[in-house]
Amino acid sequence: MKQWMCMNCGWVYDQAVGDPIGDIPPGTSWDDVPDDWKCPDCGALKAEFEMEEI
Amino acid sequence: MITLPKLEDLSDPTFNAFEMERMSTGRCPDPYPRIHELMQQGSVVEGVYRNQFTDVPDVQHGGLPQMMVLGYDAVLHVLTHPEIFTNREAFLPSLGVSFGESVSVMDAPDHTRYRRIFQKAFLPQVVSKWGETVVDPVVHRLMDAFIGTGKADLIEQFTHHYPFQVIYAQLELEPEQGPIFHKLAIAQLLSSIGAPQGREASIKLGNFFAELLAQRRARPGTDLVSHLATVESDGERLPDIVLISFLRQLMNAGGDTTFRGTSALLTGLLTKTDQLKAVQEDRTLIAQAIDEALRWEGPVTSTLRYASQDTEIDGVTIPKGTFINLVLASANRDPRKFENPDKFDIFRDRKHRSLAFASGPHLCIGQHLARVEMTRAMNALLDNLPNLRLDPDMPPPQMIGHILRSPEHMHVRFDG
Repeated sequence: MKQWMCMNCGWVYDQAVGDPIGDIPPGTSWDDVPDDWKCPDCGALKAEFEMEEI
Repeated sequence: MITLPKLEDLSDPTFNAFEMERMSTGRCPDPYPRIHELMQQGSVVEGVYRNQFTDVPDVQHGGLPQMMVLGYDAVLHVLTHPEIFTNREAFLPSLGVSFGESVSVMDAPDHTRYRRIFQKAFLPQVVSKWGETVVDPVVHRLMDAFIGTGKADLIEQFTHHYPFQVIYAQLELEPEQGPIFHKLAIAQLLSSIGAPQGREASIKLGNFFAELLAQRRARPGTDLVSHLATVESDGERLPDIVLISFLRQLMNAGGDTTFRGTSALLTGLLTKTDQLKAVQEDRTLIAQAIDEALRWEGPVTSTLRYASQDTEIDGVTIPKGTFINLVLASANRDPRKFENPDKFDIFRDRKHRSLAFASGPHLCIGQHLARVEMTRAMNALLDNLPNLRLDPDMPPPQMIGHILRSPEHMHVRFDG
């Protein structure tokens, strides 16, 4: 399975979960996550994420 | 056949480096009542965290302006504003002297650049492979020594060894070199107080790692050192000086914390037998049990940052040049975020993440490996030690320490 992963810390964006604390509701597709959203673990920007095989 | 590099012992092999470790850990059984008192005074409190619990002088930062930052929101604010609260000045007198140019002693842009390369070797999909190939053999070899006896001291015979032996296995150290490696790793911390054994240990570890890196680059395997020696990001590799500093820090950052985290997990579960039973029956609960153990008794209670400019938190002015004692343990026991924060409860509301691995750009690089190790260890103990329970004839485990915490003993019984 491939998912978007933060390359600074390894946090994985799960569309089903979203990031409620970062105001990303469950079900939000990766494309709809705003560019200024930050990784909830390490604060890296969305641009630091890459598609990785989990 | 390749001859692996040999580690050289200290010129005085009888030198007791571990005494220093015991001094830095302290003997405080429970710092949390004092932490709660401090938190009630506000988010920023004048003073030094360690001085709340010990009279042992701080030779690295003693006399410098210091403030404590307490509570979840304030601690998170500091961790996630690295442009204000920096690492380099904070850790140069301590980690910088002991380990050299490690990523813990860097700020952006150097930190951003090197961290990204290091992290590639510690991404979840990489470290998960080491669970079976590296962690399991270590765990089972240690358990074989007591599995048929019906009783054990899980600290002395298990948790205090397995994360370090995982590192030895990664480095492919010969078994008799393990104790020397451990001693040098501890001794190098003495560099920061000017002890000659500290400098000697740093040099000897540096020589060993330089040779090891050259070997792994020539014939890379699937181990950690091979990954680090060859990993690239945007065509850039890690410079040797940065890599060797990282490897010097590995025993302390990766071994010691996992030992303490696993010990906290076992303490929590063995003293809350209903939760142990639940985990025994449903192993998917191990992940949240680990999270809760690290929140409840995080291995590192306090870390440091440096105010690189005048700033303020909750209306309190923090002058430029202040060393910030960032009390992670206060964040993880903040009653505004965690109901009944002093209680170990694997079923608690997990709306707020614990800050045991910190947050922001310096978030623990080895957190995924630590979780793999703790999960493998817990499964192996539950699979092989039926009816695991505390020994009723021995004292229960007691967490000890004001900065680094763990019990010294954990006497258990199990069915043969």
